[in-house]
Amino acid sequence: MTAGDLTHAQAHAEPAPRQWHPEVLDGPLTTRQLLRVDEALRLADASTGLTFSVYIGDLEEPVRLHAEKLHEQLADPDRSVLLAISPNQRVLEIVTGATTRRRLFDRDCKLAALSMAAAFGGGDLGGGIVAGLAQLAEHAGRA
Amino acid sequence: MIAGAVVLGLLITGIVYAGGTRRSRRYRPGRPFSFIPVWFLAAPGRQIVAGSTGQRELTASASASLGADHSAQVARAGRGETGGASDRW
Repeated sequence: MTAGDLTHAQAHAEPAPRQWHPEVLDGPLTTRQLLRVDEALRLADASTGLTFSVYIGDLEEPVRLHAEKLHEQLADPDRSVLLAISPNQRVLEIVTGATTRRRLFDRDCKLAALSMAAAFGGGDLGGGIVAGLAQLAEHAGRA
Repeated sequence: MIAGAVVLGLLITGIVYAGGTRRSRRYRPGRPFSFIPVWFLAAPGRQIVAGSTGQRELTASASASLGADHSAQVARAGRGETGGASDRW
């Protein structure tokens, strides 16, 4: 999976051929799950006009602060939503930017987080991410 | 007859053992799950992430090197510029 095949700007134009960084195949998701997350991200971005990102990896304590640091690294944090997931710590953080939180209230994020945590608790990382993205996109509404 | 059964038993044992030593990709809560951290960025062309070159997926080292300005981050977080939610499972 390259940057190109998941770039939303390109998704509107012409789909790039599927290519994969070797390291992502050692990531936490299977190929099928990667494709599903890819599609969910694309749909969430396209329907809301917001920028969704997903980080899967360990988070340093305090985890909320680390998630906010990651969110800050995005090009337009105010209009971005970050889902930070640490499977080993069993922690999930959803971070919304200043602009985003006017469309995506904290209670909406909490509902999505509950759904995601339920799926993760059952061992379904990919399904939880897809469900969470769909819920968040629905709550955020159309651009 | 007995030799055949022994060979069959060894064969089955070997198959089971080989299957058990293969790295499982499935996440099971509470069990060690080793993987390379990934970060899916929605629009890498527009996003600049420390330690990356615009890739959609980043390694953990990239995220670990994200800014050392801890106090500034705390102050920013304290101003309530971000929202969201947290959960555990």
